[in-house]
Amino acid sequence: MSSTTDEQQAAGASFGGVQARSDAPINTVSRISVRNLDFFYGTSKALKAINLEVPDRQVTGMIGPSGCGKSTLLRVLNRMYSLYSGQRAEGEVLMDGRNMIGPDVDLNELRAKIGMVFQKPTPFPMTIHENIAFGVRLHERLSKSQMDERVEWALSRAAIWGEVKDRLHTSALGLSGGQQQRLCIARTIAVRPEVILFDEPTSALDPISTLKIEELIDELKRDFTICIVTHNMQQAARCADQVAFFYLGELVEVAPAAQMFTAPREKRTQEYITGRFG
Amino acid sequence: MSATDAARLSFRDPVAARALGRRRSAMDRFITIFCLAATAVGLFFLASILTTLFWRGFAALDWTVLTTEFRPTTYGDDTLPKGGLLHAIVGSLIQVSLATLVGTPIGLLVGTYLAEYARDSALGNAVRFVSDILLSAPSILIGLFIYQLVVLPIGGFSGLAGVLALAIIVIPVVVRTTEDMLQLIPATLREAVIGLGAPKWKMILLVCYKAAISGIVTGVLLAVARIAGETAPLLLTSFGNNVVSFDLMRAMASLPISIYQQANSGFPDLIAIAWAGALLVTLGVLAINIIARVLLRKKS
Repeated sequence: MSSTTDEQQAAGASFGGVQARSDAPINTVSRISVRNLDFFYGTSKALKAINLEVPDRQVTGMIGPSGCGKSTLLRVLNRMYSLYSGQRAEGEVLMDGRNMIGPDVDLNELRAKIGMVFQKPTPFPMTIHENIAFGVRLHERLSKSQMDERVEWALSRAAIWGEVKDRLHTSALGLSGGQQQRLCIARTIAVRPEVILFDEPTSALDPISTLKIEELIDELKRDFTICIVTHNMQQAARCADQVAFFYLGELVEVAPAAQMFTAPREKRTQEYITGRFG
Repeated sequence: MSATDAARLSFRDPVAARALGRRRSAMDRFITIFCLAATAVGLFFLASILTTLFWRGFAALDWTVLTTEFRPTTYGDDTLPKGGLLHAIVGSLIQVSLATLVGTPIGLLVGTYLAEYARDSALGNAVRFVSDILLSAPSILIGLFIYQLVVLPIGGFSGLAGVLALAIIVIPVVVRTTEDMLQLIPATLREAVIGLGAPKWKMILLVCYKAAISGIVTGVLLAVARIAGETAPLLLTSFGNNVVSFDLMRAMASLPISIYQQANSGFPDLIAIAWAGALLVTLGVLAINIIARVLLRKKS
């Protein structure tokens, strides 16, 4: 990503050594609206009155120290928390005018709309082709040729087609960590979701694989709305259009990336970004 | 004097340190020799059993043993035809395979229930507890149970009763391994499947079973190995038979029972056949264990 380096040099002064992308006009059309969201693990409150607009086809970065609630918010958005008893959310997560944390939501349909890529690559114990086809088959009936086409499309969008096209019918477990993660991204894309959630997608990867994933995210936002949780401030600055800073279950500040990393309004944000804590 | 003091002292005083070092390596040598001796005792008995078994077993094992039914003793008269174990081999194959077919699906479903649906529920814990007790229950009790439940009402020993008794032994073994193997699947993999919008049953059927298959098959094989050598529950259920029988409603022979009967007969020619039978069971169980190990290694 040489452009980021150029921007960094051109922009001159930066805040805490972190430089944001400067071309970040925030789309004002909201894809998901989080309204007054509280979240509980048993009796402990992990999110407190969160209000956040996730802009359509933009990258929203979520930063903050461990345990601040950023991953929890991600797991609320696709209802992953519903797998576990004792976890519950109150408030509203609006998408197309519906409250997605309401009781009458079809979770499988919701998760087809809001895909997720996890911290550790999670290839299924099957071939590369079957990994991609698995998710598609859950929601659509495709002929063999249509399926092959979809698999190629998804793998190409995830920038891994060239590396795997000759071994589609070998086990996905034989891929490298970085390749596995791009396979997981392809698997998520193949279902054609509207929103993709990334939960620290590069924290288990080497720098080159990380770079590839970041470039991919930049490319994907043309078609998908993206939320990415990251511990890496540089990554948030490189990838995100809008950045949300969480601390102790509260959303402290949300701002365009450029503003967040140059002129944060809140003292806590400033301290976190400059590495005073977290 | 605390341990730290002792350490400091030994550093200061090279003579004391050397004495301490000598004491420690003497202790080390003593424990090593003690462990080796204990291992040697254990191995001696195992090797003794196996050599006797192979020695006598292979001496008696021939084509006649594998292809003939039971015949009474020849009293050392070589002109009379010798008997064999065909009835027992057939009976064991029928009972063990049917018991596996009956017990495996039940064990698989219970194990799946425990791992996927009832991890922390009270009912799950109760089922797990009962299954663990069944796993270590003396097998004669299972024989008695089927005797009461099947043999008495029918009015006689039967292959069916033997199959049911062995199936009950299979169930907890398969429950345990299925649950353990499914528990090993990381939560991240499950969430990845659910995250694509898959219902839970598809996650279990299409991904979890696939990830756990070699472990589950290993569990089934270990259960087969276990019931192949069971004698006590069969004594009270299928009882034994001297001819090849495919009728599940009548008494049926099996290798362990035949070994028991012929070894107790007092006739050298029948005792030799019992040794051949013991060798057959041992080789069968050994083969199953090797296959199970190869499967497990393939997984890791």
